[in-house]
Amino acid sequence: MQVSASFEATARAVDAPLPDDVPDPSAVGPAAPPELVVRGLRKTYEAETAPVRALRGVDLTVGHGEFVALMGPSGSGKSTLLHLLAGLDRADEGSVTLAGVRTEELSGSRLARLRRRHVGLVFQFFHLIDHMSALENVALAALVAGARPAEATERARDLLDTLGLLEKQGERPAALSGGQRQRVAIARALANRPTLLLADEPTGALDSDGAAEVLDLFTRLHHDGQTILMVTHSADVAGGAQRIVRMRDGMLLGGGTDAFGEQP
Amino acid sequence: MGDAFGAIRAVARAEVRVGWRATLLMGVVFGLVAGIVLGGVGLAGRTASAYPRLVEAVHLDDARTLVAADQPQLAAAVPSLPGVAQARTDEAWIAQLDGPALRFVSIGAPTTAHENLLDPVVVEGRAPARDAADEILLSESIAQSSGLGVGSIVTLRMLTLDQVSKFDVGFGPPAGPSTTVRVVGIGRMPAWGGALAPVQAGPAFAAKFLPDIIGYSIYVRLAADPDAAQRFGAAFARTAAVVDQISPSLISQYTQRTVELPSATVDPSVRAAEQVLVGGLVVFVVVLALGGLQVLGQSMVRHHGVRGGTQRVESALGMRASERAAARVLAAAGAAAVAGIVAGGVALAAGWLEPLGSQARFEPEPGFRPVWSLVLLGGIGTALVFSLVVAATAAIAGRRRATVVPSVRAAAINPLRRWPAALLGTRLAMHGRLGRGGVPAVATVIAASLAMAGVVAAISFGASLQRLVDTPARYGHAADLTIVDAREADIARLVADPRVAALDVGAAGTAELADGDQIEVTSRDVRKGRMPIAVAGGRMPTGPGEVAIGPRLASRLGLDVGDTLEVRRIQGGTVTLQIVGKAVITSQNHGGIGDGAVVAPDVMRQVAPGQPLYDATVLAVPGAADALFAELSRNLEVFQRDVPTAVANLADLVTLPELLALVLAVVAGSGLAHALLTSGRRHAREVAVLSVLGATPGQVRATLAVMAATTVLPALVVGVPLGLGAARVLWWQLATATGVAGDLAVPGRLLFVIVPAVLVAALLLSLAPAARAARTPPAVALATG
Ligand SMILES: Nc1ncnc2c1ncn2[C@@H]1O[C@H](COP(=O)(O)OP(=O)(O)OP(=O)(O)O)[C@@H](O)[C@H]1O
Ligand SMILES: [Mg+2]
Repeated sequence: MQVSASFEATARAVDAPLPDDVPDPSAVGPAAPPELVVRGLRKTYEAETAPVRALRGVDLTVGHGEFVALMGPSGSGKSTLLHLLAGLDRADEGSVTLAGVRTEELSGSRLARLRRRHVGLVFQFFHLIDHMSALENVALAALVAGARPAEATERARDLLDTLGLLEKQGERPAALSGGQRQRVAIARALANRPTLLLADEPTGALDSDGAAEVLDLFTRLHHDGQTILMVTHSADVAGGAQRIVRMRDGMLLGGGTDAFGEQP
Repeated sequence: MGDAFGAIRAVARAEVRVGWRATLLMGVVFGLVAGIVLGGVGLAGRTASAYPRLVEAVHLDDARTLVAADQPQLAAAVPSLPGVAQARTDEAWIAQLDGPALRFVSIGAPTTAHENLLDPVVVEGRAPARDAADEILLSESIAQSSGLGVGSIVTLRMLTLDQVSKFDVGFGPPAGPSTTVRVVGIGRMPAWGGALAPVQAGPAFAAKFLPDIIGYSIYVRLAADPDAAQRFGAAFARTAAVVDQISPSLISQYTQRTVELPSATVDPSVRAAEQVLVGGLVVFVVVLALGGLQVLGQSMVRHHGVRGGTQRVESALGMRASERAAARVLAAAGAAAVAGIVAGGVALAAGWLEPLGSQARFEPEPGFRPVWSLVLLGGIGTALVFSLVVAATAAIAGRRRATVVPSVRAAAINPLRRWPAALLGTRLAMHGRLGRGGVPAVATVIAASLAMAGVVAAISFGASLQRLVDTPARYGHAADLTIVDAREADIARLVADPRVAALDVGAAGTAELADGDQIEVTSRDVRKGRMPIAVAGGRMPTGPGEVAIGPRLASRLGLDVGDTLEVRRIQGGTVTLQIVGKAVITSQNHGGIGDGAVVAPDVMRQVAPGQPLYDATVLAVPGAADALFAELSRNLEVFQRDVPTAVANLADLVTLPELLALVLAVVAGSGLAHALLTSGRRHAREVAVLSVLGATPGQVRATLAVMAATTVLPALVVGVPLGLGAARVLWWQLATATGVAGDLAVPGRLLFVIVPAVLVAALLLSLAPAARAARTPPAVALATG
């Protein structure tokens, strides 16, 4: 598969100068605090009929370089949890500590800066911008973080190259296959070298080949030291992870703080 | 089928729940525009029909004549002459009217009841009572010029027939009876004057003053056959000739031996005014209707596009395109009804509008006069058009997207796109697409450019019109006073007068071109100061081989500055004149503008045979014109500046372009506001993605601001020059047709304000979607987008 053939490029890409003041993840040793600490997280949606308690006290710790799979039945609160972790919505109660920073008291713009430095997000339905080429979609993320256009372009090219999509760099998302789109989305999530990669059912909309492609990519990223928290419904996909955390009715089963809670 | 209808109803209910506010607003705005259009149509109709309706309302006579009191046998013969279907014989007097201004007027009064033949429309008060000898009705113009109104008491001192015969040589104080009468009404009629007296009394007056009449006004309804007028005219002339031989009249110099034909002869200035006014209104209505439809269409596509996904779901559930459109029409039925009611209401209110400009003086039914068919059918039509637009735009928004996606150049990111806001903002603005973005961005930009062009064109055209009306020199009437046949002694006195700023002595004659065409030539001998003359190009002639021609003549002959004009010499042969300019000069013969030529005095002598018409034109120093006129008119034939009919007609239209600019700006502005205010919702997903990538609220605001600017800037860059270009062409055409200078008045200061104002407004409008985006957590936007 071309993905593995060009994988060394990732290392080169990671060595390129960093935009903004993103801390270099390689500087963080094994003794550093965990990448992500969640304590007592609660979230209730005000629905028309009865309020939906989507999260009912979630505690979770993800260490550096860990690859965690989050599984659970539909409606158990997985996406809600991921959104709160990324700061895309506010929790009612509890705390999220990202790279040592408590997020609940941050202003919108500080939260945005924290997110751009530390969090990469991948969605089931890609959420690429239709009016932009693959290259521009990836470069946009770097531009948001303050990279100069030339740097952003170079970084996007490197990432697309790494993910085997260099010849598709000029295509609009609509002209790409599902697997290709998801790889562009992953490249975009990696554009600012996040310390934490959050993925919400990244293989959910893909066929088995596409899913394998993405999982292979995640495994390699993990081997390279990338911290990953991935929601999935598929036991096969979860099997690629280091640890599986299960969720039901807005709560994690077995606490979820144990770094070695459940081996796949 | 029942199933399909159930689905349609369900979808319609959902559509109403989500979008009723926006739809209702569009209904109201469209209804307003449609109402203004309907009102404009109604007004055009009222303006165009004012004159013919007045003719009908007063039962205008087909023929009329004045017969002297000392020829009663002629008056008695008229009703039985060939071609006469019905005749009415009124008695006539001439009296000195002692009102605020002393003047002589003619008075008419019917002796008998008359049916459907010449009843003035009473616009104020009432007609004189049949049995009241002391009541009169005045024509509007005499009421206005003499300062009289309903309730005024005036004394009429009648002239005897003998005094009338000496009218032009002096006759002493009126020797007929005096009577004091009360003005009880003001009347309106298409053709006062001639045999029709501007003071009308009743039968009691006629009976009381029968011994003192000076003549008979006879009004005739002609037979239906086409040559009735001719038969009657010939018979009357024959009879009159016979009567004149038997018993000649004392006042034969004031009576006519031909008949007037009031219903067949319409003053050409009435026709011209009607054409100009109705033409202007039609342009107004058409531009507005097109603008309104376009803005509604685009707003609707956008409206459907915001939830473009729902149509895909409905389609997947098996609803056909027609059913999906039907559901949306059903959902918008309330808004369509509102649009219809608003349109009908505005059209109804437009019933208060009097005919435009000069035609208002012919309106037989002043005041509220709604066109009910226009109100009802127009209202229903508006609702139908609204529904049609809803259906068409729903179909457009629900169309499946193109399958071929063009790839874009894989070039590096343009350094200008240093800010992600610039990259994403311009992309979103320029690449809106059907289904989600709603209107393709190009269409929005084109629409905005056209609207901008329309506003700029209307403003510039209006400014040019205003400048023409305000600047007499531009229509060749620079002088305050014209003294006909001025003598050198008077001229010398005026030149010495400090109140005279400029004085020209003009000579006018007729010259023949080499091809036999006749043109009026004038020469101007400058005696004092400089008379401002509008030169539409080039300069005035100075030497013997030069000529300046009027713009209309230039366009008729197809000549321009630099060409030559060959004119026949009186002594034979021709002289070739170099056209050095286009000058706006009014004809002294017929008052036409810009169709003559100006030459130097000695050229004039060479080419214009006969004694030329001399006149002195005087420009007074500011404020002195009236006093000078009063003084000179005591012993000279002096005319004050008058406004030519063509310019007066245009002056009546002056507010129309401004109104058009205003309404267009409101319509286009609301369309643009809709586009900008919904931009956040239409691009909610993209904005959320931007947040996911770590964009701060400031960056989101900047992105939406760039989007707004990208939508508006091309409209300004394209629309302003396009509008100026269009106005230049339109104004040039109108100016050439009228004979005045064709250069456009560019309202520079206004444009200087408009451009930044539009930009700032767009940026301010973009703050609203930005605030909404900031309030909505990206997680929610991603889930719903
Ligand atoms: N914006 C919202 N408003 C109201 N309720 C919501 C909202 N988002 C999620 N919910 C509710 O919260 C609960 C958890 O939803 P969530 O999307 O987190 O589940 P999930 O575990 O991701 O499910 P799936 O596996 O199907 O994606 C569900 O009951 C859902 O209906
Ligand atoms: Mg989910």
